[in-house]
Formats: sequence, C-alpha cells, structure tokens
Amino acid sequence: MEFAGFDRPRPSGGTLTATALKILIAGGFGVGKTTMVGTISEIRPLHTEELLSDRGVGVDDLSGVETKVATTVALDFGRITIREDLWLYLFGTPGQDRFWFMWDELALGALGAVVLADTRRLQDCFPAVDYFEQLKLPFVVAVNCFDGARRHDPAKVRRAVGLDEGTPVVLCDARNRASVKDVLTTLVTHAVSRR
Amino acid sequence: MTDDDPGPLIRLYGLTGGRARPSGEAFDLVAIVTTIRTPFELPGLNPEHHAMLAICRRPTPVADVAAQLGLPLNITRVLLGDLRREGLVNIDPPQPPDQTIDERTYRDVLHGIRRL
Repeated sequence: MEFAGFDRPRPSGGTLTATALKILIAGGFGVGKTTMVGTISEIRPLHTEELLSDRGVGVDDLSGVETKVATTVALDFGRITIREDLWLYLFGTPGQDRFWFMWDELALGALGAVVLADTRRLQDCFPAVDYFEQLKLPFVVAVNCFDGARRHDPAKVRRAVGLDEGTPVVLCDARNRASVKDVLTTLVTHAVSRR
Repeated sequence: MTDDDPGPLIRLYGLTGGRARPSGEAFDLVAIVTTIRTPFELPGLNPEHHAMLAICRRPTPVADVAAQLGLPLNITRVLLGDLRREGLVNIDPPQPPDQTIDERTYRDVLHGIRRL
C-alpha cells in the first residue's frame, strides 16, 4: 500500500513535490495528432468527448439557443512518467477553430507545443503557429512525412510558414516512437534554451 | 463534432446531476489532487467520488484521475470539485514551468523521453 505522503501537511501554496508538465500537440485536422500522442504515451491515450456548456456558445454563435448545448469536442491525451513525482502530459488540441477557448486553457502553463504539419496542406498549420507565436509559447514545427518516400526540405517549410530562425523545424513520422522522441527532446531543449 | 451516439455522455452527466462545470475556483487539467481525508460515510458521495479519494491518496494530476477512471475530463472535474467543497481533497494549481524546470528536472525530462 502506498500511503507515503498521505498524512503530510499540505498547506496551500506550500511546497509541492508532485509536478505535471504539459506539452500541446497542435495542427490541422487529420495531420496525425492523435497518432503522435498514441505512439509515445505509456497509457492508452484517452480520447474523450467533452461536453461544452455555455462557454462555447458565444464562439458557436448560437444566439438564442439554450445555454446548455450538447456540443462535444474530442480531446486526446497521453502521459509519460519521468520520475515518481514528475509527469509529462501530451494534449492533442481540438482542430476546429470554434474551440479556441479550449486552447487557452490547454496552453496555460504549458512547457511548449509541437505543431504538426503536412506539406500537402501546409496552410492548415498556420493558425496554430500564429497562436503560439502570439502567446510566446515555445514550439517546434514537425513535418509529418506520411508517405515516407517524398523528401521534404525543412528550410522550404520554414520559409513557407514564415518562421523565425530560432524555431526548430524537424521532419518526423508520427507513427514512429524514436522519431516522436526526437521531436519531444527538440522541443524541451528549445523551450529551456528560450528562457 | 461527432455523429457518435451521445447516449453514453448524457448518462455520464447523470453522475454530476447534469453539471458541466465544477463548483468553486477553476482548476487546471494538470493540477495535482491530494486526498486529505477519507470519510467513512458521507451522504451524496457516489462510487466515483470514493474511487477518486482512493486514487488521490498519492498526489495525482486531474487528467490522470480521468484516465484511471475512464471518465471525461469535464465529468472528472465536476466530481473533484465536489470533493474539494467537502474538504476531502486539496487541488494544487500547477507551478509555471519557469519555476519548476531547474537543471536537474530538464535533464530528467530529456532522459525520461529518451529511455522510452
């Protein structure tokens, strides 16, 4: 039985030993966010349907409709245990624009973000890039090479997206664990170096 | 949006009495929940509440409570809000990464990712 710490006094605002870090996985619809979370998570990624209440109404422009509107949004998340008291959580951000308000909550206090991009639909990643730039949240752009065969040039992607030199652009395969690990270590290193 | 049967979700909201948001101050998906006492009997607590109290004997992030119980995050937060209101759990907001990531933590995170 693990009751260590159970009786330890926990004054609010006092020392907190357990820490959970957030990393966001963003990008357009169908770009591989769910796949990336599933590739690296040690738990079966939770794919939950969240019911939105009145907070979503203004965004949905459902004026005149009752406030409890049963709108659902899918949210994926996975976990990596770093130490007994330190976890890394990956949250796949909802793709639709009208769920931006959820991004605000997900991004609050996040360590950084991965923007997944597909070179066939590069413009799909622009909203995420704009969002994180505005928020000054460290991010990397990871080009998901679905095809495996086609060669992508990170420098071309950087120019096309209009990224500054400091933001890393990496090629990846969201299905491949080693590749996703590289993306995450690049992000963590970038996030720490930016401070 | 999904065309899936909304039935399960609506049934889950039965657990919260239809509430979609927790009472009291908002808390983050990775806020740390810690059980401070477990009552023998408290009217109004359902099995999910009790399961949460058991899980959070070890400090546990909100998202993880949801994952362990297989509940949507919103539902989990409403139920955890109930436990906080009853004084049964503490919910500590996450510290900003600037304050939590020192050199050792950074190295541990990199090492933790690489050894997966």
